[in-house]
Amino acid sequence: MGLIARAVEAVGIPTVSISITRDLTEAVGVPRAVFVKWPLGHPLGEPNKPLQQRTLIFAALQLLLAASTPGVIAEPGYRWRRENYTEPDWASLKQRG
Amino acid sequence: MPEKLTLFERLSNRLFAIPAVAQLWAKRSVAHTRQAVDLTGDIPFATVRKPLAHSRVALITTAGVHLRQQPPFDMENPDGDATYREILATVDLAQLTITHKYYDHTDADADLNVVFPLAHFRDLVQQGVIGSLAPRHFGFMGHIDNAQIPLLNAHTAPEVAAKLRTDKVDFAFLTPA
Repeated sequence: MGLIARAVEAVGIPTVSISITRDLTEAVGVPRAVFVKWPLGHPLGEPNKPLQQRTLIFAALQLLLAASTPGVIAEPGYRWRRENYTEPDWASLKQRG
Repeated sequence: MPEKLTLFERLSNRLFAIPAVAQLWAKRSVAHTRQAVDLTGDIPFATVRKPLAHSRVALITTAGVHLRQQPPFDMENPDGDATYREILATVDLAQLTITHKYYDHTDADADLNVVFPLAHFRDLVQQGVIGSLAPRHFGFMGHIDNAQIPLLNAHTAPEVAAKLRTDKVDFAFLTPA
């Protein structure tokens, strides 16, 4: 997936990726990634947990707007199945960028 | 789901679902990618030029997502399948399926948002957080190895990048599996 992100970025389009394998993401040089230590097959979390999924999307969009150096990996540290998620503050994204 | 898994493949997927084991697999994958692609140069990096509310987003996943009527990804080639499937923004989500025997997609089958959050992005566009959805999104299959790596790197990935340009996409959101 990192190679795809690099190809997209190379034509001038910014990308943000979710990563569940930090070593691979680092080694390939993914332009911007949010890493979560979650099981393979669950980049946005558990099924039918929309708040969890949206929290990860929010973290990715925040990184997209904030990152200024290539290869940055944000690690919000969400634990697998041990977090309580609330609706992200989407309005805070509208003021940026 | 479409592909039939052997007992060994089932056990292997259970094992690789453990984050620490997945990291071991990633190390091997890194070595193979380095052999096939020169990663020594700078990481490509484009600048975000517009507020999200005026930006057009495209989703790309390597979780093996495609339309039921599209040809499934090749499960016979042990090096994977570097081709991709186009998914229109207007797709009926019930028409999407997953072909990918190298991870356990039971949860993604139950809720596609786990790997391909098109429903959430439709909401975000409706709320005005993001400007618009690109007309098409892209499904790849991960687990690319050996001869399929240069195929992805030199052909299918740049091809999708060019399509994003054509579609005037402002940023892409990528999800692995």
